[in-house]
Amino acid sequence: MHISTSLFFDRSSKQLGTLATRNQTLQTQIATGKRLAVPSDDAVAYRRLQTIAQATADGTAWESNIALARTVLEQADTALGSVTSRLQRAQELTLQAANGTLSAADHRTIAIELRGIVDDLVALANSKDARGGPLFGSATGDTALTRDPAGVVSFTGTGNPPGIPIGQDVTIQPSESAGQIFGNIPNGAGTTDSFALLASFVTALESGGNPAAAAATTVQGLKVTLDQVGAARGSVGARGIRLDLESTRLEDAATVREGERSFLEDIDVTKAIIELQKTSTILQATQASLSRLSQLSLFDYIR
Amino acid sequence: MSDILSIGASGVRAYQLALSTVADNIANASTAGYSRRSTNLERIAASSSRIGQRQITDGLGVAATGIKRQADDFRSTAVRAAGADLARTQTSAVWLDQIETSLGGQQLGTRIASFFNSAKAVSADPAAITPRVAMLEAGAGVAIAFTATGRALDQITADLDIKASAAVDELNTLGYALAKVNQGLDRASPGTGGRASLLDQRDTILEKLSALSDVNVAIDANGRAAVRLGGATGPMLVGGAETAFVTYQRSGSAVAYIVEQNGTVASLSPVGGALAGLAEGAQRIGDARVELNRIATGLVDGVNTLQSQGRDLDGNPGAAIFAVGATPSDISVSLINPRGIAAAAVGGGPRNNSNLITLETLRTTGQFEADTASFIATNAATLASRRTVAAAQAAIHDGAIVARDQVTGVNLDSEAVDLIRFQQAYQASSRIIQVARETLQTLLDIR
Repeated sequence: MHISTSLFFDRSSKQLGTLATRNQTLQTQIATGKRLAVPSDDAVAYRRLQTIAQATADGTAWESNIALARTVLEQADTALGSVTSRLQRAQELTLQAANGTLSAADHRTIAIELRGIVDDLVALANSKDARGGPLFGSATGDTALTRDPAGVVSFTGTGNPPGIPIGQDVTIQPSESAGQIFGNIPNGAGTTDSFALLASFVTALESGGNPAAAAATTVQGLKVTLDQVGAARGSVGARGIRLDLESTRLEDAATVREGERSFLEDIDVTKAIIELQKTSTILQATQASLSRLSQLSLFDYIR
Repeated sequence: MSDILSIGASGVRAYQLALSTVADNIANASTAGYSRRSTNLERIAASSSRIGQRQITDGLGVAATGIKRQADDFRSTAVRAAGADLARTQTSAVWLDQIETSLGGQQLGTRIASFFNSAKAVSADPAAITPRVAMLEAGAGVAIAFTATGRALDQITADLDIKASAAVDELNTLGYALAKVNQGLDRASPGTGGRASLLDQRDTILEKLSALSDVNVAIDANGRAAVRLGGATGPMLVGGAETAFVTYQRSGSAVAYIVEQNGTVASLSPVGGALAGLAEGAQRIGDARVELNRIATGLVDGVNTLQSQGRDLDGNPGAAIFAVGATPSDISVSLINPRGIAAAAVGGGPRNNSNLITLETLRTTGQFEADTASFIATNAATLASRRTVAAAQAAIHDGAIVARDQVTGVNLDSEAVDLIRFQQAYQASSRIIQVARETLQTLLDIR
């Protein structure tokens, strides 16, 4: 076969160029640890990787919402714990006051402590959460409850506080509204709230009469309140478990995604290094054989 | 005796020419478009005029009758056809690659995802300002990504216009040069080196033309080429000394090549060469533009509508977050006050997030990220398949070049052999002259 000299050199340079490019590609892959540099390296893998990246970004956002919800729930739990202990103390004091052996002075002392307890309860019910909003707020309003100069407490707004989104179409109430915890206490034919209940008992104690009848009603009302607080704490705890489950699910999904991402995107370093070694060897051999072959010329023998 | 002298002289003359041809071959061994020459040597036969006498048929030496150019029109045609196919694929791959860079460079999908995810933080704490600021910043990121992607597509459209105009200019220049070569071929006498050079030029021009457009070439007896663009029924670019003028026009994503000759206007639809690749590139850029605009419009309208349905921190209806500029992808964030994000439903109060939670529904139904990823992936898949096709076509093109160069290429070793052969023949011929002189001298020395 007649091979033209310039074609021989052109083809050799093209082959060397191809090998050098391959080496460069492998080198970049090893340096970055990634098999894919641009979408066209593998369009299907790129499409899948985009979905994975989106899910990962979503997961991160949900995780931070879960962390916030968990903080608020823990605050609610702590506050409700304090509420319980204050209510139990109120119950003790009420039962003490019902005891007929106490003097009017004793009743006044109890009344003073009960006033303090009401103040504490109002303060606890009006606690702020990690977001600066009312911890036991309802759907609207900047505070959970208000207290007028006469000491009458009223709940702000109605309904439940807005939920925090923690997943696709999943929201969680980070606490309960004050109305559900302290309100709706049966009182004769109607209902009252814990604050009014305690306030009227304090008034009864201070009036100096026999507080036994009022104490019975109050103990009954406090029992209902404690039940409601207990239910709220239980509910808050259950929501904490839901958050833990959701968080675990997100972590598991992230692990699975990471595995898939690595499979799609990462290079097998061992394989790549062996491939690089192979290409380099071939490149060197091609260079050596080219310099050998290009030295062969009949003109060298014409003297 | 004078016959021997003239035979020797004819040999010296012939081999001198043969040696110069070999030298020319060696000198042009790496000249692009050069076809190997060889010298035609023919025996000069003696004419016998004396009838009836015993004829002595001896020759009168050798004559170099011309320079033969080693070429094969069929193999050249194969190179042109393969070259046109390859140029088309490679050119369209260039633009697909540019589109890929434009679309990928701005991380559009990631930015859209981060906008929607920033809204989740606002939903978790609607009354706080910081998450709202972060959401507006993420919105600005989306706006920049769309705008920059749109601008990048505009930029490559402008680049494409420049490249296409340059390609058409080159086509016209080559057509003009070919017409000149055709004129030269009319005058060049057969067997001369000048004619061989013109034919080399003709083939080089034709090969360059085929890289621009698929060409149909008809070569007449005189070696002149008539060229039609875009197949056998396409418009004539060069016919003899006549040339046509080609212009490039683009409206939107549609590219038109207009061929005008002597007032007659024809439209060229190339199926090969760079011009076909450029037309395809323009189409692809246009498609990417349409898709980008569609996604941008969907996102902007969706978010702004949602915004208007809710109430901001101050209880007012939400103002539009995004504003649209000259083109649908030219978007910016028009909402400056972070309190203006309408997280709440009507009458929901500042801690309400019902309206913003439906943003997630918009994201699911709108499919903005999925569509962005899909259209980048579709472009990438087309690009990858073009590259595969280009690799195959390059192999075919290389094969065609090898086949052609087997005929036209210069091999220095063969030339070295010819050099020795002709040098020896030259030396032998000059020896004959010496013998003739000595023989004549013998006669002249008789006293």
